[in-house]
Amino acid sequence: MIKFHPSDEMIHQFAAGSLNPALSVVISTHVDMCPHCQKQVLDAEQLMAEQLTKAPKPRLNSHALDAMLEQIMTSQAPAPKASNDDYSNVLNLDGKLFNLPPTLARQQNRIGHWSRVPGKMLRAPIDIGSDECINLIYMDKGSRVPEHTHKGQEVTLVVNGVFNDERDEYTDGDFILMDSSQHHTPETQDEDCLTLAALDAPLHFTSGISRLLNPFSSLFFR
Amino acid sequence: MQLMQQKENTRNMTTSPVPTDGTESAEHLAGLLSKIAATQCRAAFSELFKYFAPRLLAYGTRQFGNEQIASDLVQETMTNVWHKAHLFKADKGSPATWIFTIARNIRFDFLRKNKHRQNDLSADDLWPILAETNEGLDDDYALDQNILLQQIASYYQQLPDNQRVVIEQIYLEGKSQQEVSDGLGIPLGTVKSRTRLALQKLREMIETHD
Ligand SMILES: [Zn+2]
Repeated sequence: MIKFHPSDEMIHQFAAGSLNPALSVVISTHVDMCPHCQKQVLDAEQLMAEQLTKAPKPRLNSHALDAMLEQIMTSQAPAPKASNDDYSNVLNLDGKLFNLPPTLARQQNRIGHWSRVPGKMLRAPIDIGSDECINLIYMDKGSRVPEHTHKGQEVTLVVNGVFNDERDEYTDGDFILMDSSQHHTPETQDEDCLTLAALDAPLHFTSGISRLLNPFSSLFFR
Repeated sequence: MQLMQQKENTRNMTTSPVPTDGTESAEHLAGLLSKIAATQCRAAFSELFKYFAPRLLAYGTRQFGNEQIASDLVQETMTNVWHKAHLFKADKGSPATWIFTIARNIRFDFLRKNKHRQNDLSADDLWPILAETNEGLDDDYALDQNILLQQIASYYQQLPDNQRVVIEQIYLEGKSQQEVSDGLGIPLGTVKSRTRLALQKLREMIETHD
């Protein structure tokens, strides 16, 4: 059962197409997994469609309009879009198999090289051609990310598995937003965990010896 | 070249605003879409176009603050409606919602996509509303998300050979259904049905062992 969802405002912005690409991928993946938010998105789209039909409309130059209409009806059909059959929805990570939600399955060819990061974790960037940073992060059983804050915002989505921090436990589909004021220490216990994370600035480690990691924090999620 | 010509044709489309007139019913608009899908009916499309084009132009102008880009948005949106009316599914939402989501996708790509970087994320990756087969992945995901994939490995040996080969390639080698179809030289529909049957059988095995 999913406990943590994006805010209504975020869902609305997603449905409007106004969020940045990295955040849109994370929200879209959550929506794949969450019937509640699927409904929210449909409602938001319907609302915006109503606004579109009811808004005052400009009077048009009918000559230009007729010309466009004629152009469209004599146009070539656009090339067909890639179909879902072109994608695999299974991620094979060193023999461990994960079932990817549709949005992530469509990103398979953008998943980069998996590399080790401190704390028994693996990380692979997803190159969506934008400036924001988006990564798949695999935490093995008993992994721990040193306590840190974020210079910007971090969103995390659990794709499969369980992890926890000081506040709560998060499982499949849970969506977690952390801002720069919040300290947290994500860790796994007896289960491993695959997450999707989007970050707009490197981590900043806050406690004890792990502060020494700060000069290297870009190794973690960038 | 075509773009230049199009710019000439569509310049100064807006003259002065008029108050909103009545909105059409979803049933009527859906009827127009099904006529377009069935027979490429020009009269039905003309009516739909005259209803939506000014509204989309107003939306685009609000979004972009630029009438030329807005009119490109109208043209691209309505071109998709003309050619892809068969992809409208009345049970998934109203015609206005469908057309709005097409325009929303085009707007997303206008704003985000760098034409020189083919690999950029596109709106179709997030909202594949114009993909020809829209069921595949979502169905598969719904079908097998409860099956522990690791468990599959221990049971799949018991499947009939033709199903086992398909499951092996999809779940162990990570191939797409289309790749399996091409590789084995069997129709895509057969790959799908074998996958489905095999998953069904695996689920039964897992349930009886649990
Ligand atoms: Zn949700």
